Amino acid sequence: MVKTGRHRKIGVQVVWQTGCIILLAVIMGLLVNQIRPKGLPLVADWSPETRLILESGENIAISLEEAREGFLSKRGIFLDARSPELYERGHIRSARNLPWQAVEDHFDSVMADIPKDRLIIAYCDGEACALSKDLAIELLFRGYENVRVLINGWSVWQENQLPVAKGSHPGRL
Amino acid sequence: MPKNSTLKPSEKKKRVWNRKTLFFVCARVLLGGIFVIASLDKISNPGAFAEIIHNYQILPDAFINLTAIILPWLELLLGLFLIIGIWLPGAAILSTILLVVFWGFLLLNLFRGVDVYCGCFSTASEAVSAGSMKWYALRDGIFVLLGFIVCFYVFFRKQNPADSAPEH
Repeated sequence: MVKTGRHRKIGVQVVWQTGCIILLAVIMGLLVNQIRPKGLPLVADWSPETRLILESGENIAISLEEAREGFLSKRGIFLDARSPELYERGHIRSARNLPWQAVEDHFDSVMADIPKDRLIIAYCDGEACALSKDLAIELLFRGYENVRVLINGWSVWQENQLPVAKGSHPGRL
Repeated sequence: MPKNSTLKPSEKKKRVWNRKTLFFVCARVLLGGIFVIASLDKISNPGAFAEIIHNYQILPDAFINLTAIILPWLELLLGLFLIIGIWLPGAAILSTILLVVFWGFLLLNLFRGVDVYCGCFSTASEAVSAGSMKWYALRDGIFVLLGFIVCFYVFFRKQNPADSAPEH
């Protein structure tokens, strides 16, 4: 009887305390977000295309058709931003591997012969994949002028049965 | 200082009880500390945290920013309450539920082959990130265990004067 009473008491405590803690967190979070200089909008568009719009308003996404044209005309250089392990398992033919997670280590050797005004197409795998976007922003920061991102690049390239290669070498065009 | 053998049974029991209490208080403070530390970076950089939530690919887009704004404060409050020892029934149950949910999401993404650190596919089980995700899954599993220990302490142990447990 005593035990049941204690359990009920704790149950009631759990309910009101949980509610109060959540309410406090909501109030503090919203208040601080409102006050801070670069507060987040409460609701944002997280679609892949929108995420590739830079602060300048420029959209760096490239369509598959444009990317394919860049590939066939040899105008574009493809950069695979995934890990070397995934690159070796398969990549867009002629693409170079510049893994975002080790970009400093590989940058000079991969980018040495690429002119700053050359069309560069970065890609990774998955619609939400941020590696190619991060790599593209880094390249723009380093002065490369024509950098684009092929969203979900590896998957869409394979789905459209475009040329691919395996191993640690880019493969011939 | 009397030796153990010379202690009365009630004193022996008290000593063991105090050791257990100390263990549970340490577990509570440790769990609180984990929550506080985890929250600080997220509070200072909600944009980056929103990216991480997006990378988990579980929440609808409409809830991503709202979660990035509120969740770190929830973690901070839970951590502080656990450390200070107030509102423990609510703080213990809520923190354990959060840990179980985080762990579940991580395991789900490990199973789906999504690397939560970049939001990308890592279909290869031998991929570099898969290894680190397994490590994080193990670490989060230990946190969940810690949460259950604290819950046990709060809900199933008798009240001890040294604790500031359920009576708040």
